[in-house]
Amino acid sequence: MKAIEISGLGKTYKGRKGTRIQALKGLSLDIMQGEVFGFLGPNGAGKSTTIKALMGLIRPTAGDALILGERITSCTARRNVGYLPENPSFYDYLTAEEYLTFVAKSFDVKGNLLEQRVAESLKLMELWEARKRPIRSYSKGMVQRVGLAQVLVHAPEVFILDEPMSGLDPLGRALVKEIILDLKKRGKCVFFSTHITDDVEKVCDRVGVIVSGQLQALDSVENILRSGLEGYCVQIRSGVKRLDVFDGFEVLRTHDPFVEYMVPAARFNEFMALVGHHSAEVMFVETRRKDLEAFFLEIVEKGEA
Amino acid sequence: MLNLVEITLKSILRDRVFHGIIFSALVFLLIPSVASLSMRQMTELSMNLSLSLLSFILLLLALFLGGTHLWKDIERRYTYSVLTLPISRSSYLVGKFLGIAIFIFAVACLLGLVAAGVVVFSSGIYPPERPIAWDNFVAAVVLDALKYILVVATAFLFSSVGTSFFLPVFGTICIFFVGSASQQVYDYITAPATTDISLFTKKAATVVYYLLPNYSAFDYKVNAVYGVPIAGSGLLLTLAYFAVYALIVVALAALLFEKREMN
Amino acid sequence: MALLACLCALYAAIIVPFASYMRSKPFAEKLGTLPTVATLKFMSADQKLFVGSSLVMKVIIYFGGLAELAKNRIIIPPDYPAMSRTIHAAVKLDPYNIDAYYFAQAFLTWDARQFTIANDLLREGMKYRTWDWYLPFFIGFNYAFFLKDFDSAAQYYRKAGELSGQELHISLAGRYMQEAGQTDHAIAYLTVMAKGARSPMARKTFETRLVAFKQVKRIELARDAFREKHGRLPSSLHALIESGYLADKPVDPYGGEFFIAADGKVGTTSKFAFKGDDKQPGNKGGTKP
Repeated sequence: MKAIEISGLGKTYKGRKGTRIQALKGLSLDIMQGEVFGFLGPNGAGKSTTIKALMGLIRPTAGDALILGERITSCTARRNVGYLPENPSFYDYLTAEEYLTFVAKSFDVKGNLLEQRVAESLKLMELWEARKRPIRSYSKGMVQRVGLAQVLVHAPEVFILDEPMSGLDPLGRALVKEIILDLKKRGKCVFFSTHITDDVEKVCDRVGVIVSGQLQALDSVENILRSGLEGYCVQIRSGVKRLDVFDGFEVLRTHDPFVEYMVPAARFNEFMALVGHHSAEVMFVETRRKDLEAFFLEIVEKGEA
Repeated sequence: MLNLVEITLKSILRDRVFHGIIFSALVFLLIPSVASLSMRQMTELSMNLSLSLLSFILLLLALFLGGTHLWKDIERRYTYSVLTLPISRSSYLVGKFLGIAIFIFAVACLLGLVAAGVVVFSSGIYPPERPIAWDNFVAAVVLDALKYILVVATAFLFSSVGTSFFLPVFGTICIFFVGSASQQVYDYITAPATTDISLFTKKAATVVYYLLPNYSAFDYKVNAVYGVPIAGSGLLLTLAYFAVYALIVVALAALLFEKREMN
Repeated sequence: MALLACLCALYAAIIVPFASYMRSKPFAEKLGTLPTVATLKFMSADQKLFVGSSLVMKVIIYFGGLAELAKNRIIIPPDYPAMSRTIHAAVKLDPYNIDAYYFAQAFLTWDARQFTIANDLLREGMKYRTWDWYLPFFIGFNYAFFLKDFDSAAQYYRKAGELSGQELHISLAGRYMQEAGQTDHAIAYLTVMAKGARSPMARKTFETRLVAFKQVKRIELARDAFREKHGRLPSSLHALIESGYLADKPVDPYGGEFFIAADGKVGTTSKFAFKGDDKQPGNKGGTKP
């Protein structure tokens, strides 16, 4: 089932003196239920514009989008969506507990379930101790955690998170990744934007790269990583009398008595055969591939060119 | 919607500016001594001063709440987290408006009681020549509250399109002054004795008069202070005028807010 | 810290002269130039009653201050035109304000001697304060005592009687309607006013005037006794005292000297008012509304 369906979404701003700025050019994208989708792109590429349009904050000038089959122009489309804005700010005169109660009520969560959910999400985000203090007194990281708690509190099907890791310390980032993986396990759809490729690599099923308002790449993380495979780094102990049998391979490092070779994927079997033949001792084998970052940078360069 | 009303009331009650304004209500305590300067109408003067102070406090509250409430939500980017909840923008705006309206009305009632206390105290020291018209007093306080709720509505209309608080606050102040004087101008221009004004000006003035909120219609201070009788039908018409005008303004504000881009 | 102490000392040094300068500022200057009534109405929005009352209050406090000074024999001429302007503006904003009419009646007639302006103002007030007998009572008195228009006076006194339901005003209308009864008329009027006065300042004003008129009455009685005995008017007040018709020299609380005019009328150099700078009626046109 499609959780988010974006078809031909465009947004054009009117600039000064009649100029037009196309922030988004005919974006089409389908995201399935149960999928974790990473939305990558440099600053100003149109990530936030897409998300704001999805959340009804701005009106697209072209195209349309559906969330769980409901058109985004209606507020009912957001009934099952948890949204975390970029650098969020919440009514800071309320306490975290009051704010979460307000959000849960807005999603028609009632009674015992409401209390239970509020307590759960406060505890999960480690805000339980601070729950009676106004948000005004929170640190930046705590506010970000309130943001995640208010997404979780009404247990939606679709999560739209704008830069969910920003403002968090390494512990917080790990927690967020864990939460996203847990949501995936429970069959939820998570759509999040980021410019940090490492986050995507760890948790996403698929990734889309947007540059200058256009989707430049859309593939599963697995495919990208596989296609980026360059070869292996193999270290052997040079008990071998004649090292020149490996002459066809590039030496990466010599660290007596160890030698490291760069082995292209296609010649891996050949290399291993040589190792066996000359009874060399393999210390370790390491995969060498272009990571997502390189993939991303390549696409951005291509897109901007 | 009730949820939003509740949040709005909480936000007002926890705001420091509100505390400051309410602090000014302490001036009520000074009224009896100031009123004792009057030569022949201590009770009338203390009621006059009480109602004036009440009006003034309500005006401050209406300008401050109506003019800055929406703006603050946008300025502090609360809208990103609130407008993306499954509530329509109209219900957000109406919820906020209702919260402030309820608050203004409650403050008017509370200060009305304080004012009544002041008047009773003054009349105990210097009995008035004529009995105090308490029904008129109640009418004056209630209509004053309605007037400032209308002021909040116009402030919301400006807020729904303005990007800073200048337009809502100063626009509302302008409309407040013009709306308080529009009846006078209209009466003058349409008086049969006024002949040196062109027909076009008269027509234009009439149109402007119909468009602007007529705040002077809600001023029943004279009736309260001097016991001048109030026509029941006039009062009903004024209430109907309030209801229809406020609904139109809020609906218009909601419509404009619905169309607004939240960048 | 030392700087703050210095500044405090400086403030202490400057505040007393500053306060006394502010106190001695002329009324018109203190009030500033009053905007036109139309502007005032616009600016005060829904606070017209408040602005109206505060204008009246300003005049009352100012005049009260002068009366206080006069008691200590410090005579500062009141600025009647400015007071009149202010009162007129005040009743435009709050046409019901009895303090304004009450006060206008007090200073516009006795002190500023602007009888017609006073009566016009009071008649305007009657349109609003339809229940109030004070306004026609004032007009009646002004007609009879100052303008000698006894027909109009009777008409307004009757109106006052109807409104108050008190016989007094109707009988006032009849009793003193000739020149000869003027002093009695004034005493009767002032007695009514003093009795009805609630604020100490108003009562003091009326009582002062009442004291002055009682002195006049005493002189008149002595004069009449003298004339009965001698068949002629006494040459002077001094003559009355010397010949024993007056036990002691009457003192004018307004600081003037009583005298007997050539036609036998008793007057005083103070004209029953603290010295003003606008003694000739209507001379500056400043009392126009």
